[in-house]
Amino acid sequence: MSSPAQDPVDVHLVIDGRDITVASGTTIFDAARESGIPIPVLCHQHDETPVGVCRMCVVDVGERAYTAACIRKVEPKEKKTRPDEPDLVVKTNTDPVRAVRKTVLQLLMADHPTPCVRQRNTKDCELEKLAHEYGAIQSPYPHREVTRGQDDSSHIILVDHSACILCDRCIRACADLRDNFVIARQGKGYNADIAFDLGKPMGSSSCVSCGECMVSCPTGALTNKETIHHQFEDGVPCELEELRKMPLFDHVSGTFLRFNHGAVVKRHIKQGEFLFYEGEGGPTAFYVLEGHIDIFISAPHGHVHTRERSTALTSDMHTRLVGKHEHQREGENLHITHTAVDASMELSQEDPVARIGPESLFGEMSCTHAYPRSATARAATDCVVLEMRRNVLDALRKNKTFRSKVDKDYLEHTFENHLRKSSIFSSLTSGFIQELRQKVRLGQYAPGEVIFRQGDVADAFYLVRRGFIKVSEAYPGGELVLAYLPAGSHFGEIALLGHSKCTATCSALDHVDLVQISGEDFQNMLRLFPEVRNHLESICEERLRENQKRFDHVSGMPVDDFLRQGLMEAQSLLVLDLDNCTRCDQCVKACADAHEGVTRLVRDGLRLDHFLIATSCRHCKDPLCMVCPVGAVHRQRSLDVIIDDSCIGCGECAQNCPYGNINMHEFTRALRDDELALLGAGQQRARKAVVRKATSCNLCHDRKTPACVYACPHDAAHRVTGEQFGEMLKK
Amino acid sequence: MRLDRTHRPWIIWTAALLVLAGLAYFLGGRSLHNGISGGSIAGLIFGAAGYGLMLFAALLSVRKKFTRWRIGRAQTWMRGHLWLGLLSYPLILFHGGFRFGSGLTFTLMLTFSMVIITGIGGAVLQHYMPRIMTEHVGYETIYYQIDRVQAQLAQEAEGLLSWLYRKHAHYGLLVPASEKIHASATTLVSLSEESGDHLREAYESTIKPYLAQRRAYRHELYDGRRAKALFVELRKVTPAPLADVVDGLESICTEKRDLDRQSRMHLILHGWLLAHVPLSVLLILLGGIHAVMAVRYG
Repeated sequence: MSSPAQDPVDVHLVIDGRDITVASGTTIFDAARESGIPIPVLCHQHDETPVGVCRMCVVDVGERAYTAACIRKVEPKEKKTRPDEPDLVVKTNTDPVRAVRKTVLQLLMADHPTPCVRQRNTKDCELEKLAHEYGAIQSPYPHREVTRGQDDSSHIILVDHSACILCDRCIRACADLRDNFVIARQGKGYNADIAFDLGKPMGSSSCVSCGECMVSCPTGALTNKETIHHQFEDGVPCELEELRKMPLFDHVSGTFLRFNHGAVVKRHIKQGEFLFYEGEGGPTAFYVLEGHIDIFISAPHGHVHTRERSTALTSDMHTRLVGKHEHQREGENLHITHTAVDASMELSQEDPVARIGPESLFGEMSCTHAYPRSATARAATDCVVLEMRRNVLDALRKNKTFRSKVDKDYLEHTFENHLRKSSIFSSLTSGFIQELRQKVRLGQYAPGEVIFRQGDVADAFYLVRRGFIKVSEAYPGGELVLAYLPAGSHFGEIALLGHSKCTATCSALDHVDLVQISGEDFQNMLRLFPEVRNHLESICEERLRENQKRFDHVSGMPVDDFLRQGLMEAQSLLVLDLDNCTRCDQCVKACADAHEGVTRLVRDGLRLDHFLIATSCRHCKDPLCMVCPVGAVHRQRSLDVIIDDSCIGCGECAQNCPYGNINMHEFTRALRDDELALLGAGQQRARKAVVRKATSCNLCHDRKTPACVYACPHDAAHRVTGEQFGEMLKK
Repeated sequence: MRLDRTHRPWIIWTAALLVLAGLAYFLGGRSLHNGISGGSIAGLIFGAAGYGLMLFAALLSVRKKFTRWRIGRAQTWMRGHLWLGLLSYPLILFHGGFRFGSGLTFTLMLTFSMVIITGIGGAVLQHYMPRIMTEHVGYETIYYQIDRVQAQLAQEAEGLLSWLYRKHAHYGLLVPASEKIHASATTLVSLSEESGDHLREAYESTIKPYLAQRRAYRHELYDGRRAKALFVELRKVTPAPLADVVDGLESICTEKRDLDRQSRMHLILHGWLLAHVPLSVLLILLGGIHAVMAVRYG
């Protein structure tokens, strides 16, 4: 978190007569792009660091020489003659500027084999396109006498050195985006060209054929030799020409789209048809072209509750699905009212359904991170959607124009819901949210990137739009992960509420999009809405008390020991004496019999001396079970894992738990009318659907003699307190 | 189950019952001309009591089947099975006046003796083996998962060796230069194609067959000392960048050895039941037949 002194300030620009305000440090190119003013460029693409070598983006800023817009950052003017004077006046399209660009293009075209391979294949060579626009196709300058030749040694990529304009996009793609460092420049002046390793043919170099250079190249210097034919079960593959006509793919390289033939398909979905179901895997994302899609969660809201059911002769455990208002567990958050799903929206837990329309993108998290689908998608009307693979989605997301559009959609359609998701902010007025909408900053973070560290001075409040935030606290001897916050969560409020320093470290687990509300706006919100302040203060006090308690508990002790000590603190341990145990697995069988056939006891785990301690939760330092597509898994105060009512039964947590301590339970529910309508006449009798819910086992902590202890014939299984266990160890 | 101090009440009560039965046998025998026999009243009482205890001991398996029934802890049933089952033997001896008889009664007594011997043997095994297993099997897993774990080990070994099968036209063998061969290292070092030959050969001829074979008790790698010697030799002829592969293979073989050892111990620990249980069923059956025949035709 930066200190307020380093914060960017607003800078007033006038570009081609339009007043624009941007944060200081923004390049002229980005400022113009955000305002929809096109500036031509060849050596810069959105996800790379600008270097300003092609000089196509030159603009007139009233200085002695024209400046490259892609590298010139705007800063506030030090001396102004009048207060409303702009910090910078930029002219992007004057005749002298265009003349300079034309000269640059003519020089480049002098050596360019027109039409180049890319122009022939996909008709989108950026150089030739600009040359056409500026009337520079026919260069007045002499052509190179000896061609620089081609390198076809790679199986995947054809290198045409004669089409290379030395923009360095491939070099930065290889080094900065992929960390491969295979491509560099060699030679000087007119003899300079790109080289692989130390001038080897591409096929013999250490190139791993990732294709990033090919996708980055603006001309036909690096093009694909092969085409990957992607296969989808449904839909018609979109041809290159069709994709190029869609505004969505405006800035995506034709070479990339040609190389990935079939990676985007068009699907016509009839009203009522399902695109996918919650919990299933799906490596694709969807973009709505026409019609509307309903996004909903069909799993009933509730958690698994197990209680003892005894008769005169038998005793077993009965498992039911109950809501949090019927049965409340310690550490359960009752303030959450919405569930985050893999779309630009959140679903109310009362009525978990929402509708999305044209130009909406959904299914991104499943596509990019292989998370299970967080909701079910069904066509509300007849509709047309694009289904795309991850590489296409990545290519789209690299584009800042596309990202701006997604951000704009988010602020317009989702931000208010997102903020109101928590009952804490439910009292905010729409007017205030509208005001806030203009002020928030949207940021992207790469996996592992730290948003703020424990002890940093707080200056913002954050909402998670996409991805997971890892919240961890430092303890003597190690770091303990407290939570993985999913999309829809918020953080940073404790420090802003007068405590000034951040109490935990927050970092991005994967690609994360955040909404940042400045400390000033946050304080303003608290001032205007005292009920929000009161609510937040009570939560913060409770959380700080817990933090202090936890810290007091573990201070002076390595965190590993603390976690082990956590067992000692337990009131009710389940211990197997391995010197007595004949490994007959009677305990496991009894556990399964008592829990409707699903055993919760795994006779494996932490060993201390000759004792094996069965644990329901290992209090992992980094519990990946909490990476839940709908954010249903949390830590309790005791550090155990709790699975809340919004679980959709996808099984991701059970799969991620390396100790098998999370179980999936099946329940039945009545089918809804729309589901019945989808069934054929012969299936109408099946009026019930199976629902799965995850639960972490508490090892029958509330029972003195659980089934496993009762069934052990060898005096090996014991239910003991921490103290008793200590005595057993001493013996 | 360990036969420790917690068994003392059972031992005392069993001994007391035995003394009482012994007294009854000697006192009762004195009053009879030929001493106590199976057909006498006292003999019938001893026989009924002995058979009753046998039936109780046999009910342990029924108790184990119905784990939900709250009819006493399985541990109590097991102790009853052990001590009262043992007590049934002298009672039956008192019933027959220490005579084994002939025909059915001889078969019955022989079966009973074998049941008792296998039972005692089993109790001794269950007293010592769990501790031995805990001490000597470092990588213990759940018995039914041993096959799966061993398959995973074999697969892991294949992964370790995979570098040695990827010969590059220009660079020979390319192996990761990092310490951990499993890591997705980006730095590779080039070795001559032959440098991995010894390791490859040892893997193909010795290690791979060992990892593929379940319960490879006769294999040379099952012997810890011989396995250690093999890996020491292998290290001498393997280039340094491949040292991690050798370490990894040795660790895999150690785990596999532990799993084999666990299999073997598990068989010993539970194998005696293959004799004890059928003999017990036979005993209950023959005992029933003997009782019916004695009452009806005796």
